[in-house]
Amino acid sequence: MPDRDQVPEVASPAKPVANASHQWPPQPDILGTRVKRLDGPLKTQGKAKYAYDIIRPGMLYGRILRSPHAHARVVSIDLSDVQKAPGVRAALAIIEPGKNPKFPGDKVLYQGDEVAAIAAATEEQAGDALRLIKVEYEVLPHLASIEQAMKPFAPVVFEGGNLKRGNVEEEGDLAAGFTAAALVVEATYSTQVQTHVCLEPHGCVCEWEGDKLTAWVSTQAVHGSREGFAQALGIPQTSVRVITEYMGGGFGSKFGPDLQGIVCAKLAKLANAPVKLMLDRKEEHLATGNRPSAAAKIKAGVAADGTLTAFDAETWGTGGAGAGSGFPLPYIYVFPHRRRHHTDVYINAGEQRAMRAPGHPQGCFITEVLMDEIADKLRMDPVEFRMKNLPPEAPNAMWRQYFPRAAEKFGWGRRHPSGDATPGPVKRGYGCAANRWGGGGRGSKAHCEIYPDGGVLMRCGTQDIGTGTRTLVAMVTAETFGLPLDAVNVEVGDSNHPFSGGSGGSTTAASVTPAIRVTADKALAALAAKVAPTLGVDAASIVASKGKIYAKDNPSKSLGWKEACRTLGTEPVSVDGEWEQGLSSSGSSGVQMAEVEVDIETGVTKVKRVTCVQDCGLILDPLTAESQVYGGIIMGIGFAMFENRILDRNTARMVNPNMEWYLLPGPSDIPQIEIVLVNQPDRGVIGLGEPPTVSTAAAVANAVANATGVRIRNLPITPDKILNALALEKSGGTL
Amino acid sequence: MKAFAYVNAANEKEALAALGAERGKFLPLAGGMDLLALMKDYILQPDRLVNVKNLDATIAATPDGGFRIGAAVKVIDLAEHAGVSKAYPALVQAASEVGTPQIRNAGTLGGNINQRPRCWYFRNEEFDCLKKGGSRCFAVDGENQYHAIFGTGPCHIVHPSSLAVPILAYGGRFRIAGPSGERDVSAADFFVMPDKNLYGENVLAPNELVTHVILPAPRNARSATYEVRFKQSHDWPLAIVSAVLSMEGGAVRSATIVMGAVAPVPWRAAAAEAILAGGPVTEETATRAADAAVKDAKPMSENAYKVQVARTAVKRAILKAAGIAVA
Repeated sequence: MPDRDQVPEVASPAKPVANASHQWPPQPDILGTRVKRLDGPLKTQGKAKYAYDIIRPGMLYGRILRSPHAHARVVSIDLSDVQKAPGVRAALAIIEPGKNPKFPGDKVLYQGDEVAAIAAATEEQAGDALRLIKVEYEVLPHLASIEQAMKPFAPVVFEGGNLKRGNVEEEGDLAAGFTAAALVVEATYSTQVQTHVCLEPHGCVCEWEGDKLTAWVSTQAVHGSREGFAQALGIPQTSVRVITEYMGGGFGSKFGPDLQGIVCAKLAKLANAPVKLMLDRKEEHLATGNRPSAAAKIKAGVAADGTLTAFDAETWGTGGAGAGSGFPLPYIYVFPHRRRHHTDVYINAGEQRAMRAPGHPQGCFITEVLMDEIADKLRMDPVEFRMKNLPPEAPNAMWRQYFPRAAEKFGWGRRHPSGDATPGPVKRGYGCAANRWGGGGRGSKAHCEIYPDGGVLMRCGTQDIGTGTRTLVAMVTAETFGLPLDAVNVEVGDSNHPFSGGSGGSTTAASVTPAIRVTADKALAALAAKVAPTLGVDAASIVASKGKIYAKDNPSKSLGWKEACRTLGTEPVSVDGEWEQGLSSSGSSGVQMAEVEVDIETGVTKVKRVTCVQDCGLILDPLTAESQVYGGIIMGIGFAMFENRILDRNTARMVNPNMEWYLLPGPSDIPQIEIVLVNQPDRGVIGLGEPPTVSTAAAVANAVANATGVRIRNLPITPDKILNALALEKSGGTL
Repeated sequence: MKAFAYVNAANEKEALAALGAERGKFLPLAGGMDLLALMKDYILQPDRLVNVKNLDATIAATPDGGFRIGAAVKVIDLAEHAGVSKAYPALVQAASEVGTPQIRNAGTLGGNINQRPRCWYFRNEEFDCLKKGGSRCFAVDGENQYHAIFGTGPCHIVHPSSLAVPILAYGGRFRIAGPSGERDVSAADFFVMPDKNLYGENVLAPNELVTHVILPAPRNARSATYEVRFKQSHDWPLAIVSAVLSMEGGAVRSATIVMGAVAPVPWRAAAAEAILAGGPVTEETATRAADAAVKDAKPMSENAYKVQVARTAVKRAILKAAGIAVA
C-alpha cells in the first residue's frame, strides 16, 4: 500500500555486479578509518549556518495562523486589522473559503492546518499580529481516535469514508497451516503515533531578485525542493535556487518546501523583501508529519518443534487526515501460510510522512513481541526459536550469523525464564529483535575540478543532513587522488550543483559516494593524460597515492601532486561523472539485544544496555556509521518508552505539542550501547540511516516481559501500563 | 508574547510599589523559568513585569536553630548549601532533582513555590479551562494520566512545586510582604484547593510577594524525600514524598508525611503519620503507613496507577528517612 511521501526501499541487487569499470580500493589509506566530521568544529563553534541562522538584509519574519479546531469549515478570513498592525508588511489567506489548496472545499481537517500567514519586521511583532487575523469557523464533527472513527455510527468526516480497506494479502493455505499447528496464539498489538522532533524545525528563508527565487531551506532534498517551489509557484525550475549548507535533522519529514515554504516565498514576493519562516515546536508536532500508528489482531500457529505454521492478521492504523498507515507484517520470520488484511483509518490529526524506516519499527515490534509470546509458551529460548524460523542466509539476510554473535557479545546465556525470580522490586530482563532494510544507490551526479595549483574541488548537489555526507565526499575524493583530506574542497547543499536525490531511505551514501568515486577516477584519468608525456609513461598506467602521481609498474617515474598539476598549464581538469553500478548494493540486516530494569512498585523501566550487530556493506567511515547506530537506538528507545502524540479524546487537539510532555530520551535515559559493525567490503556501499532504529523498541519490550513476567503489547511502555498489567495478573485476570 | 513594561525593582519596597491588585496585570519576574513560557504561550499576558531578583537572596540561620531563606535564592544555591543540607536533607534532595541543571541555575526558591500548574489543558491556549476563566475542566473526561488523585475539583491539577513538599513537611512558613505590611503564613495555610482559589494555587494576593521561607529547627528529626519520575532526565515527578520523623530513641515520636504531584496542593497524609507514631520504622510499618496514605485517593479515569506510585513513594520516603535502603 503506497503512502504519500514514503521513501521506498530500493530494490537493487544485494551484491554489486562483477567486472564493474570502477572499484573501491582494496587497500585504502583513508576509507575505513575513523575520520571525524569535517564540519564538527564549525558546528561546535556556532560557525556553521543552518537555514534557521540565515539573516538577509531587510529580512522579515513570517508566521502561519493555524486552525485551533480539528475539523471546521472556514467561513471567512478578515485580514484588515492585521494589515494595520505594527511591523506587518504582508498578509495572505492560505485557505480562501472555497479554494483549499490541499483538499476540495474550504475545510481545515486537523488542529494546526494552515489558514493564513503574515510577515512582519520582527519575530515578536509577527507572533502578536497573527492574533489579529479574524477567522470565522463553522465547527464540524471530528474524529479524535481510531476507536471513534471505527464506531458503527461514526460521523463520515472524510470523503469516501473514514476507513479505507486494503486488499487481502494471502500466501499458502491458511487452514492447512492452522491444522499443522500444535499451539495457536492470539493477541492484539499496537504502536503509537511518533513525531519526528527534528532539532532544527521545518522552514526556510526566501529572497526574490526579480523573478528569481533563492531559498535557504531546512531540507533533505535541495533538488526536490527546487522542483517543489517551481511547481507550486508556477515558475521555471531555472528560476529557483535552493541552498542547504547545514541541516538539523529531517528523519523523512523534509523532502520538499512544504506549504510553509511556498507561503514564505509568496510573503517575500508580496512584501518585496526576504522572509524567514521557521516553524515552532508546536507546529512541528501538529503539522510536519509523524510515524503513523499501527495495530494488529493476530492469530498465529506453531508446530510442536517450534516451526511456525500460520499467521492471520487484521491490521489497521492511522496516518491522520487522509494519509495511509502501511507497515510490513509479518516481519522477517517465515510463516509458510499467511493472510493479512489492512485498513487505513482516517482521523482529524496531522498527516503522516516518511519517518526513519517507515513501517519497519511497527512491523518489527508487532512480530517480535508475538515471537517471544510463542517462545515463552513453547518454553523455548527466544533466540533458538528465532533461529528455527529465519529465512535462508543471504548477503542481505545474515541473521543466522548475527543472533549467535550478538548473544555472545551480550551475554544472552545469563537470561532467566520470563519473570525475574530474584527478590526485591527491581526486576531485570533481556530481550532481542532483528531488523532489515533496503538502502542502496541511485543516480547521483558530481563535478570535479583539479586546478593547475594543485587545488581540488568536488561538487555534488546532495545535502549533508547531519549524517556526515560532506565528510564521506571528501574521504572518497582524497582517497582517489592519494591526497590528505584537507587538500580537498567539498561543495554540497546547492541545487545549482549536479543533481543528487533526496537524502532518505538510507540511500545517500550508496548514491553519492559511487558518483564521487567515478568522477574522481575520471578526473584523475584526465590529469594522467596530461602528465603522461612528462613522465614518459602510458597514461593508463598512472596511479595516485600518498601525494604522488606515478606509473604503477615503474614508481620511479613519479611527480608530486602539485608538480603534476602544473602540467595542466592554464586549463584545469573539469569533469562530470555519475553513479555507476558496481560500487554499491542493497539490503542490510541486524540484530539487537536489550537489558532493562523494571521497578514493579513504580512501573518505571530503565533501559540499561543495548547490544547491536549491524551490517551496511562496505563501511567508509566507522565513526559516521556508529553515529547512525547510536542515533537510531536512542530514537528507538524514545519509541519504546516515551514518545506519544496524545490527542485530547474530546477535541482531537494535541495536549503535548512541546518537549515537556512529549517525552524524549534525555542523556540520563540513554543506556550503554555496544555496537558491532559488520564490514562487508565485497558488497560495496549500502547505507545505514534506518535499520538501527527498527528493532530497539521490540527488544526493549521483550526485555520488559522477561523481567516482569507480564507482557506489554502496546507502545510506549509507560509506568501505568506496567502497573495495570501487574495488578491484573495479581488479581487473576488474563492478559 | 505581548509587549510589556519592565520595572527593575532595587528592593522589596520598590517591587511592592510596582505590583497591583488586579490579577495577571503586574507580575513579579525572578528566574523566569515558568513565567516566560506562560507568556510565550499567551497563557499570561501581563502589562508589566517587576524584577524581584534583587530581593533578599541569603540563607541565614535563625536564633532558634532554624533557617530563614530569601525567596530570590537560586535553587542550585539551596541544593548546595552545607547548613541547609545538614539540617533539611529532604529539602536538598528535592531541590537537587528540580528541572535540569540550567533550570536550577536560573530558577529561584520563590519561583519554584509560586510556579503555575503544568496541566496541559491549562498550558495550551486552545483549551478554555476553568483556571483560565472557562466553564469546564477538560481533564475530567479527557487525558488525565498526570492529574490529581486527591481532591474533589472542580479543577484537577497537581501542584507543580517539588520544594513545597519538604517545606510543608518541615512545618515551614512563608514571610509575605504586601502594600499594608508583612504577614507570616504557614505552608499548611498557604496552599489552597481550587474550591478556595480557582485562579491561583495559594493565598498570595496579586500585590503581595513571598520574600522568605522560614524553617523551624529540625531538632531530632530524620527526614528524606523520595521522588518517582518516569524519565531520568528532565521530567516532572509522578509522585514526590517528604517524610520527617521526629525520633525518640529508636521510636518515632511524631511523623509528618507530605505527598506532591498527587493533588492541587502538597497533600499531607495524616493517616500515615498516625500509624508511624509511637513505634520504630520497619518495612512493615512503612508499608502500612503507605497504604493508609493513599486509602482515600480518588483516581480519575486514566490515573489509577498513580495511587500505586504514590504508595511506593510514601513507603520509600519513610524508609529512606529512617536510613533503611530502598530501590
